[in-house]
Amino acid sequence: MGGVDTDLIDIKGMPDNALKEFLRKKAVSLSIFEARKIVELIGRNPTITEIYIFNTQWSEHSSYKSSRHVLKELLPTQAPNVILGPVEDSGIVELGYINNERYGIVVSHESHNHPSQVVPYEGAATGVGGIIRDVLCMGAKVIAIADPLRFGDPNGKNKNKVKYIANEVINGIAGYGDAVGIPNICGDVYFNDSFDENCLVNVVCLGIVKEKDIIHSYAPKNAENYDIVVVGKATDNSGFGGAAFASLILDEKDREINRGAVQVPDPFLKNVIIRASYAVFEEARKKGIELGFKDMGAGGIMCSTSELCSDADFGADIDLGKVNISMQNLPPYMIACSETQERFTWISPPEFTKALLKIYNEDFELPQISIGAGAFVIGKVTKNQNYILRHDGKTVCNASINAVTQGIKYDRAKKAPKRNFKEPNLKEPNDYSNALLEILKHPNVASKAKAYKHYDTSVMGNAVIESGYADAGVVKAVDNSNFGVALKTDCNPRYCRIDPYWGAVNAVAESMRNVAAVGAIPSALTDCLNYGNPENPESFYDFYEGVRGIADAAKNLNYKGTKYPVPVISGNVSFYNESGSGKSIDPSPVIACIGVLKDYSKAITMKIKKEKSALFLVGDRKDELGGSVYYDINNEIGAVVPIMDFEKERNMIYAVIDAINAGLLLSCHDISDGGLATAISEMVMGGDADGEIGAEIALDFTNLRSDKALFSETSGFVFEVEGKNLEKLKILFKFYKINLIELGKTTKEKNLAIAKNSKKIINLPISKLKEAWTTGFAEALE
Amino acid sequence: MPRKPNIAVIYFPGNNCEEESLKAVLAAGMDGRIVRWNERKGIEKYDGFIIPGGWGYEDRIRAGVIMAKDPVFGIIRKEAENGKPVLGICNGAQALVECGMIPGLKNNVEMALAPNKNPFINGYYTTWVNVKNEQEKGTCIFTKFTKKNEVIPMPIAHGEGRFVTKDKELLSKLIKNKQIVFRYSTKDGRIEESFPTNPNGAMHNIAAICSKTGNVMAIMPHPERASFIRQLPDTTELKNKFAGNIIAMEEPAPAMNVFKSMKKYVEEEIL
Repeated sequence: MGGVDTDLIDIKGMPDNALKEFLRKKAVSLSIFEARKIVELIGRNPTITEIYIFNTQWSEHSSYKSSRHVLKELLPTQAPNVILGPVEDSGIVELGYINNERYGIVVSHESHNHPSQVVPYEGAATGVGGIIRDVLCMGAKVIAIADPLRFGDPNGKNKNKVKYIANEVINGIAGYGDAVGIPNICGDVYFNDSFDENCLVNVVCLGIVKEKDIIHSYAPKNAENYDIVVVGKATDNSGFGGAAFASLILDEKDREINRGAVQVPDPFLKNVIIRASYAVFEEARKKGIELGFKDMGAGGIMCSTSELCSDADFGADIDLGKVNISMQNLPPYMIACSETQERFTWISPPEFTKALLKIYNEDFELPQISIGAGAFVIGKVTKNQNYILRHDGKTVCNASINAVTQGIKYDRAKKAPKRNFKEPNLKEPNDYSNALLEILKHPNVASKAKAYKHYDTSVMGNAVIESGYADAGVVKAVDNSNFGVALKTDCNPRYCRIDPYWGAVNAVAESMRNVAAVGAIPSALTDCLNYGNPENPESFYDFYEGVRGIADAAKNLNYKGTKYPVPVISGNVSFYNESGSGKSIDPSPVIACIGVLKDYSKAITMKIKKEKSALFLVGDRKDELGGSVYYDINNEIGAVVPIMDFEKERNMIYAVIDAINAGLLLSCHDISDGGLATAISEMVMGGDADGEIGAEIALDFTNLRSDKALFSETSGFVFEVEGKNLEKLKILFKFYKINLIELGKTTKEKNLAIAKNSKKIINLPISKLKEAWTTGFAEALE
Repeated sequence: MPRKPNIAVIYFPGNNCEEESLKAVLAAGMDGRIVRWNERKGIEKYDGFIIPGGWGYEDRIRAGVIMAKDPVFGIIRKEAENGKPVLGICNGAQALVECGMIPGLKNNVEMALAPNKNPFINGYYTTWVNVKNEQEKGTCIFTKFTKKNEVIPMPIAHGEGRFVTKDKELLSKLIKNKQIVFRYSTKDGRIEESFPTNPNGAMHNIAAICSKTGNVMAIMPHPERASFIRQLPDTTELKNKFAGNIIAMEEPAPAMNVFKSMKKYVEEEIL
């Protein structure tokens, strides 16, 4: 191995206890085994810089050391529409062909849970910032973001902190997304006490790129001697150890120490960098130049430069002294591993570097926009596959680049935890109207307008269906084409608490139903797998079961028109989501489904459009209310979660997509939290709660007790159909062998009436529904 | 054939609505280009200017203040005095108020766009609103195709959009001069001072003000995000009526008339 000329740390000679103490003092989270493994890998004792490099690279966050092989073993990532699977910063799925050119939707999905728990505004904001970089660096135009959120119990013992975190997280997402100017098109929010001390802030970002214009996260061919260029904010010490921090269990008493691991957002600078980067893309395409481009996220300069080069079988020779820094006397390991925001790395042929630097430094004046910001050449790509970092004329790291990037792997034990869930024996409610209002007011069901109206949902002017109006958000994908892209995120934590496998299956299926409910074809999935400590066999079991559930659902709810799965093209694993007291969050495999509409004008919302149209249900109601909101308002959780018949589910989804694209439906809504009664109520109200058309339905299609029929969350759809389309609709659903259940009709009366055996059990004016539905979430935040 | 009006959409660092503003310009039948703040040389050759929404210069100090001090604004002011149209949308509207071009009665800042007063959401607020044109055709050059009392749906997306002034006589002067262009109203044109009709607490429900000469307009809602039927929400009949009709979806929505009117004015008065 190569030589260095700075002090070596005598790990070889240190006894275990001394090594343990050394690692603790230096805030290195490597185990003794891992520290000794460095010596084995690089063939000598490491420098302190090298120790910090491996500390970052071997963190769970960067290396996926517990999860990688499980994901590889189980998840389906291939289908004919996959342009790029989960191997680079983002996955890419086919949008379609426009003028004979193939276009891709670039998708990334990550978590920013720990930072958001510790410093919620900044944590959430930098989550948005990071995910935008992941998509941008594929050469894509960024078109949308979304944010699934999980918070603690807003009425529980930690309610003040929960509310504080929830509000700050929402403000952070708004503060960043609004300023960069990317529309926030959907999201979901759940509250429960398992998130009291560990909130979840996941973020999804979409972009659009022509297949031939993709810029990869690795150096191009023949890149020897190409320049390594960093661009963006001046490096400081913020976020040093962020990747390692993301892989720790949060302990309230370490709060102050942990704060230092959170990065500082600068959406203003990012706004300018995005535009400057678009100008670089254009210039490079014009000149036919091939580049490598990568976001600087976890592990900062070290991680992005080493991966850019090693993934193309090159080495790198970098002078850390050439990095733009904003703090004096930063030690080399900090320059290398700090996670300062708003930075990227380019690999550029020397003949193009001048043009690249000019765009950032002169055309967009980065150095004037933010002190010390700009684009700077810091090193060269080398044929020799070593990773060399220099500082002050000394070599501080010189290791095989593959050693730096190959990672580490653990086979974690798994053991099924005891789950003692029982079905409650509830009495039938006396007053169904009250039960429905209570459900509509439940913060997990109530309108999330108070969150998404903080976000800019219409910027970029590409909106087709903005947040809240339908089960999924829809944007027009590309100018001069009719393609639309739909997006929705899902995962019910209570289902996963009862059953981590079926909880994951339901998350996938629900995300697909949501996308189908606007008429889009579910085309790809991403997963952000939020779990507890993987070293705990019970948590690891939950993780494994969750991945198995995702895989089974993706494989069985096939990509429409094929026998292929709906591929999983991007994702992220976030472990160690538990409190200092060892309480793990509910298993949370948060799924995003990306849908494609060939003709976005076909997309429909959930709001009832006309009087006297027919309302239909598909998806038989079943007695499987485990984890339901109905049980929750009765302080129960239950044991039987919705179980899926994949063939029926698949056909139901396909039939709804076909019906919408044939123009047969006026409105459509997926049945989920709060069940059938909630779905109809939301259709009556509409996303903006301005609905003025009522509905009259009868429950005589089922033998279930009325509360179970109304509030069971078994999968299904409700939709509105005009009389003239009934015959066509019946033929279509017959073809898919799906039972169409006539529920009732829409009415001039501004009322929701539900009857069983000709007796009205619910009779509520729309205004009452609105009052409950529009206040529940707002009150949870207050 | 006479050339098309050529519009500069100015990007100040931090703006983020330049692209959709340009799209509306082009769809209205004009030419145009996004011009960076530091490309001001020769900018006077353009026939009109749009200052788009966003967070120019990070809204440092106060929204629009630093933009208003940028040298490019000196040129825009001069061109406006020569009669060229200037449209400031959202952050651009804030800048026009901060540089005194709106309402432009004295040679200094007469109004402010204060933080929203909104009982539902503190700070930044995005929603669809309705604005009503109460003027006869005349003063404002951006409403040549908008009828008196016509109501137009547009989204707002701002934290500081409340038109206010300390000058007690200013409001009556603005009314008298016919400078108040759009006011927040209900769908059927009723002016209600209360939320949600008035989304930010603006005095007199003001959504847009023009200069005395009518060729400069500061508008807080976003006409460029409401210029195609596709962009409208399902709370508008227009969107629902054309569900499934891809050609209609790309047709102009009522707010497009702001840009069409700009075009007509340039053709009549500038070219």
